[in-house]
Amino acid sequence: MSLSRGSIAALMSLTVLVLCLLLAPIAPWLVKWPAALTVPMTEWVGAGMSAFLALFKPLARGFSWAMSYPMNAAGYVLGQSPWPLVIGLVTAIGWVLGGLRMALLGAAGLGFVLLSGYWHQSMNTLALVVVSVPLAMIMGLAIGILAFEVPRLRGAVQAVLDVMQTVPTFAYLTPLLVLFGFGPVVGLIASAIYAAPPMARNVLLGLERVDAEIREAAVMSGGTRRQQLFLVEIPAAATQIMVGVNQCLMAALSMVIIAAVIGGFDDIGWEVLLTMRKAQFGPAFLAGLVIVVFAILIDRMSAKLAEPRQRHDRRVSWGILLLGGLMSVVFFSQDPATFGAFDSLAEAVDRGVGRFTANHGATLDGIKNGAMFYGLLPLRIGLDDAVLPFTWGFKWTAVHSAIVYGVAGLLAVFLVLRGRVTAGIVAMIVAGILVTGISQLPWPFVLVGVGAIGWISGGWKLSRLCVILLVLIGVSGLWERALLSLYLSGASVFACAVVGGALGLWGALSKTAWAVLRPVCDILQTIPLFVFLIPVLMFFQIGEFSAFLAICMYAVVPMIRYTRHGLVTTPPDLIEAAESAGATRMQILREVRAPYAAPTILLGLNQTILYAFAMLVIAALIGTTGLGQSIYLALGQADVGLGLTAGAAMAILALVADRLVQGFAEERRRALGL
Amino acid sequence: MTGTDTAPAIAVEGLWQVFGPNARAALTEARADGAGTAATLKARGLIPAVREASFEVASGELFVIMGLSGSGKSTLVRCISRLIEPTAGAVRINGEDILTASDKRLIEMRRDTLGMVFQHFGLFPHMSVADNVAFPLKMKGEGKAARRARALEVLNLVGLEGREDAFPRELSGGQRQRVGIARSLAVNPDIWFLDEPFSALDPLIRRQLQDEFLSIQSNLQKSIVFITHDIAEALKLADRIAIMRDGEIVQIGTPTQIVLNPVDDYVREFTRDVPRGRHMTLDEVMEPVGETTPAGDWPELRTGMNLETALTLCAASFEAVPVQDGDGKVVGVVHPESFVRALGGEHG
Repeated sequence: MSLSRGSIAALMSLTVLVLCLLLAPIAPWLVKWPAALTVPMTEWVGAGMSAFLALFKPLARGFSWAMSYPMNAAGYVLGQSPWPLVIGLVTAIGWVLGGLRMALLGAAGLGFVLLSGYWHQSMNTLALVVVSVPLAMIMGLAIGILAFEVPRLRGAVQAVLDVMQTVPTFAYLTPLLVLFGFGPVVGLIASAIYAAPPMARNVLLGLERVDAEIREAAVMSGGTRRQQLFLVEIPAAATQIMVGVNQCLMAALSMVIIAAVIGGFDDIGWEVLLTMRKAQFGPAFLAGLVIVVFAILIDRMSAKLAEPRQRHDRRVSWGILLLGGLMSVVFFSQDPATFGAFDSLAEAVDRGVGRFTANHGATLDGIKNGAMFYGLLPLRIGLDDAVLPFTWGFKWTAVHSAIVYGVAGLLAVFLVLRGRVTAGIVAMIVAGILVTGISQLPWPFVLVGVGAIGWISGGWKLSRLCVILLVLIGVSGLWERALLSLYLSGASVFACAVVGGALGLWGALSKTAWAVLRPVCDILQTIPLFVFLIPVLMFFQIGEFSAFLAICMYAVVPMIRYTRHGLVTTPPDLIEAAESAGATRMQILREVRAPYAAPTILLGLNQTILYAFAMLVIAALIGTTGLGQSIYLALGQADVGLGLTAGAAMAILALVADRLVQGFAEERRRALGL
Repeated sequence: MTGTDTAPAIAVEGLWQVFGPNARAALTEARADGAGTAATLKARGLIPAVREASFEVASGELFVIMGLSGSGKSTLVRCISRLIEPTAGAVRINGEDILTASDKRLIEMRRDTLGMVFQHFGLFPHMSVADNVAFPLKMKGEGKAARRARALEVLNLVGLEGREDAFPRELSGGQRQRVGIARSLAVNPDIWFLDEPFSALDPLIRRQLQDEFLSIQSNLQKSIVFITHDIAEALKLADRIAIMRDGEIVQIGTPTQIVLNPVDDYVREFTRDVPRGRHMTLDEVMEPVGETTPAGDWPELRTGMNLETALTLCAASFEAVPVQDGDGKVVGVVHPESFVRALGGEHG
């Protein structure tokens, strides 16, 4: 009997796992990454970067000083403008972009901000966005055009963009902090760095997608290269570029709020952090809502840019502005900070949450502890360590392990006899992982396992790449923390895949379900990462379970969306062919829709993984172990070496996961001839 | 300018377009090898899209290049207009070598001499119809008012008056191609490239635009390279046709020559379903006058008349013939003329 590639890979991994576990008692270095194999990478990076940063410090400080002018100006203008005028302006812009709907959205949104009493903080945040977005857009446009005009650079530019987006935001806050010094400028630059890649990507994509004949028509009209680019190609790519503008705005807002952890300026993100630290959940909730309102406003309005333009009478806009001006005179002396229409609401929320947690504390604790003791903890340290008398009611012994392995072995034999060799071997591996725990997996097994998956997914090249990258993490001395991050993100991704997959399926089967799910997904995707921490903190306090929940809430969306999208976009002729062959609805789903949707669903899983890693770092704020925590600690201590190394390790994990899943998706697509 | 009045509008000599890495060097080597240049190139993984193409287009001539998809016809026209850089060979426009022209000179030629129409129209989606048509004029640096006036003039020519402020997305396919044609004529070029201009349109609109195109051409007398995959279109429009296969021009001739004397089975296969009677004239089948001129009442046949028409005229001089049913009973009559009409379709 010859084995398939998958079986060979699984068998190899299993062998290494068994060997390591058997030898572990006499050779403990097989489990923990041996200290002899590490180098003081963090110190080296720290020293190298410090020297490098010192070199650029004067320049950076100069830039920082120069940028403080437009920033202060924006802050001053927005802060000092009478609030009716600002509301009028946003409403007027809303009208121009999207007519009555957008105008109302603008007025209602800013009205809410005003009444919340967080006007000043909001304007400070807005000022940062207003300055960082043009910076990011110019950078993105330049990078996109450069990559398009010089095809040789394209690969390199794509790689740089990947890195800019996968390295966790907190990680580069640290060197920026050293470089630019404390202050709002760091947030500004960080958000520009974070927001430029989506712009650049969309510019490049848009330019690449311009119809060849449109390009040729511009050439044949006798345009110079610059005329072709600026008069024809960029305008023809406008829709895609506007998608980039939308993403750029959202990224900038998200980052500006995250950058609040540096502190030092009185913006809305800082307000959330402050109230959260003081456990004032009412005000934190309210401030979080303000952020959500901003995100929705910015997202929906800028999304209109990418739609075919409808003409709305400009005179209405001027009228709204004029009204705003008049109101400004009337309310000239009214300080927006004195509004506090929701203070009582915030208090009520506070009290309500307090009462709820007091009354149902036992239930909440039950949920939390149940998930921790019976789900997360065993995953992390394995059944052999997690099963204790005071939680599970008995002590785990070798007998229990033997039972688990025995059951898995029987299952494996059964599966192999049914012809599913790979599944059988994988069952054994899973049993091994469950008993051992992810954070205590022997490192040779992790390397061989990832290498094997890489080999099936994308051949030797991918396999080699993944193993080398992982070895880098080990050599840096971050292996244990990386495994902890892997465990938490793995658990979240698994939960998201199950829940999101089920919800996506439900959305595909029922129109009503999708009508409910869709707006929820929209909102969840619009909310800046940071805000997800508020509700979980309210009910479950600081801890790993809260982090897990926050990650899931954020990362589940792509899984839902892609699953549904994959399932509903099966070509109609395939469905008709199946129907005319007499297939039932369920048969069509299982035999036609699901296989066809597989590549799309895999892409959704890929997105979910990336989202989970992005959130993992933010969740470090509410107590996780692993790389996220290191990055956050490094920020507090201005430890550039640790921040960057841990950030790079995080990016490596995300990158490896991304490439592996992409490889499988690609393979499925090829198999389907897509 | 090195052009002379006697030079053909377009002269193409030994043109090669090879796709793939280091195409130029590979082509030189393969040619030195001698026999089977294209086969050598293919064996090395390169794609010879156009092989050794040579032809001339006279001033005012409508030259059609016909071939199936993938035969290299679109590549060929892009080489001639230098939208892509040919691997080897020469292209002279009004006697001037366009392949060695500087970038500046190339832009000048495109602004003054060359016009091009695209299969999928290539309209700029963000510009109104008038702005699309005026775009080449804008490149030339003409003033706004002059551009608009000229745009309206050309739009009038293609029958789009009144739609100048519409956007391409608001137009039908036929209307869009009218805009494409108008734009390519805006600078009044001498040389006109049309790359399958009517292929994306439905049959009725296609025929209508073909007719209008012929009438525009009869007034403007441009020198035209027209690409098509439709033999009927080629025969209808062309002064001369070049037939391409696998990047090679296999035959060049007038529509009649192509139909009557196909050089090989490939060309014959194309023309098999073409009603020959419509493309052959009496000149090609008549014999010299012998000893005696036939006597009697002959139908009015003239030289240059196609066979279908002639046959109709001849048949008209016969009496009606009875038609019997199975039992030999006469149930009707048929005029021989009706046969010809029925078989020749609408043109009979």
